[in-house]
Amino acid sequence: MSTQLPATTLETIATDASDQPGDRRFLRNNPMVGYYSRRLGLYLITLWGSLTATFFFFRFLPGDPISGIIAQLQTRGQYSNLEQSDAMIEHYRREFGLDGSMWEQYQRYFERIVLHFDFGPSVLSYPTPATDLIVRAIPWTLGLIGVATLLGWFIGVIAGTLVAWKRDTRIAEWITNVCLVLSHIPAYFVALVLIIFLAYRFNLLPANGAYNTTLQPSWSLDFIFSVIKYGTLPVLATVIGAVANWLIGTRALVVSILGEDFLTYANAKGLSPRRILMSYVLRNAWLPQIAALGLALGSVVSGNVLIERLFRYPGVGNLLVDSVVIKDVNTAMAVVAMLIFLVLTINLIIDLCLPLFDPRVKTSKS
Amino acid sequence: MVLINLWKESGKFKLGMVITLFLLVAAALNQVLLRWAVGPDVDPMTAGSFGIFLDPQRDHLLGTDRFGRDVFSLVVIALPVSLTVAFLAGAMSTAIGVVMGFFSGFVGGLTDSILRTFTDMFIVIPTLPLIIILAANTRNLGSVKLALFLAAFSWPAAARVIRSQVLSLRERPYIELSRMTNLSNREIIVGDILPNMAPYVAIGFAQASVGSAFALVGLTVLGIGPSGQMDLGRIISEALGYGVISLGKEWIFIAPVALLILLFLGLALISQGMEEFFNPRLRTQT
Repeated sequence: MSTQLPATTLETIATDASDQPGDRRFLRNNPMVGYYSRRLGLYLITLWGSLTATFFFFRFLPGDPISGIIAQLQTRGQYSNLEQSDAMIEHYRREFGLDGSMWEQYQRYFERIVLHFDFGPSVLSYPTPATDLIVRAIPWTLGLIGVATLLGWFIGVIAGTLVAWKRDTRIAEWITNVCLVLSHIPAYFVALVLIIFLAYRFNLLPANGAYNTTLQPSWSLDFIFSVIKYGTLPVLATVIGAVANWLIGTRALVVSILGEDFLTYANAKGLSPRRILMSYVLRNAWLPQIAALGLALGSVVSGNVLIERLFRYPGVGNLLVDSVVIKDVNTAMAVVAMLIFLVLTINLIIDLCLPLFDPRVKTSKS
Repeated sequence: MVLINLWKESGKFKLGMVITLFLLVAAALNQVLLRWAVGPDVDPMTAGSFGIFLDPQRDHLLGTDRFGRDVFSLVVIALPVSLTVAFLAGAMSTAIGVVMGFFSGFVGGLTDSILRTFTDMFIVIPTLPLIIILAANTRNLGSVKLALFLAAFSWPAAARVIRSQVLSLRERPYIELSRMTNLSNREIIVGDILPNMAPYVAIGFAQASVGSAFALVGLTVLGIGPSGQMDLGRIISEALGYGVISLGKEWIFIAPVALLILLFLGLALISQGMEEFFNPRLRTQT
């Protein structure tokens, strides 16, 4: 059945052969080059694949998008001629990039977004390009997701390690059970509870928008404070579930580490518990959780769409729902492509940084 | 037999089953509950049957909404709709996941690499925006169509569980024995592998249902649900739409939120309980 030689045998043969190709010797001496190029190649393929899928996904939605676009432009008073003459339709078809065969459209789509970062005009605020709307919205989303993810990860991993370390105490057990329940509650519901109590009952924090609209956006201290104040509830809504999730995951990881022989040895050497916790347990716990951070990002971004909608936060999630409601294909496509690009790129960055933190990645073959 | 042991040994599984069965029974009894709540003559969806914004009281356990509809009876007719879509989507995505995971794990090699890259891509990219766009652009969105959309994006979880199990089963000694006795691939799959897959298919189903239910709630709180039907998310989105929070009438959406949380919790406990039971290595960890 298996005719392959074990990998180790092959390797010995390869090392023994003195006439092995130069590039292979180079890769053997610099294993990280192989890791980086493989990871980069996978990134490019995945990015191309998902952007292609996004294009065809939008083109195969039921109905011809152009009639919806023209109807929307009419109702928004951008174009008052009620008669949809063929010439008009043709004009808008060209303007929105919907003319020509599917293949031509696909080529044009790629050329435009890769070379010019251009998604065509939006319907939402025609004739402003969809790209402009995205560029306006993306800092808000990045801020919200960035702060919430990092905060949730940091608190969750540390608390999870401590809860596992003290797992026999009553309080640790209690925290674990609460987090087990919390981790299954969507951020949206947490947000509802926060709005009811913190925003309305006790009137502590605002739950609408991203800053006090009487202020002009600037780098003034007043404005920055206003942004923090308005951002607290949306961030908190995501952070609570995130902490619970990371705590549960880290706890399971640490409990399995606690049984390892090297900890028994460290203990026998007479190292202090604090030393063992900090440099033996925590170090082994937070490294895998960095890699897990990238995987969790997709669901955070998904959940964030609803959070932004609920808080009327001017990010891309809100923009997406606005554009979907009026069938603004270009803007919706731009948001989806942007979110996919962001998530894949952050994953790439995490994977490329991983060897800096984790020496084991350098030596692993896969 | 296995089920009895599972029930006895795993507290998580037991609790999850009790919660899920409670929801299923409540959904199955919707006609009875409806008759008890508002009588046989009232259509719960008709506006103006009762006074508007009545506080919870004996005749209206959860009060009435802005349109004078009894909230309890709305919840009663919404629960089966939400459960049907969630479980239907769970079943469909398990089916896709089993085929993908099985193929990936059993064939191996390049096919496996390609399918795994594909699956990982689905796990990494945010899928809710895609489901929102798909559902919002579909006319006459029925329960089955909606479930299909949800399943199309939530199968990777099930595929992963199945694939890793197939990989581990493939290397077991008894499979090796079957190979040496010259059994065909088909016989090995049907006789040796499939019977051992059942628990993992069940775990995959529970996980896929949770995933689908999460996405379903995401859609319906935006007001995109099965058209013409009341579901739990729609009660929430309608209530938010006429500003119940600023009016201080939050009790209108407390019941749907609580039921949905129970659904997530029940399914998650079932899948965790089963995972720990069938994979004892996990059990020692927690």
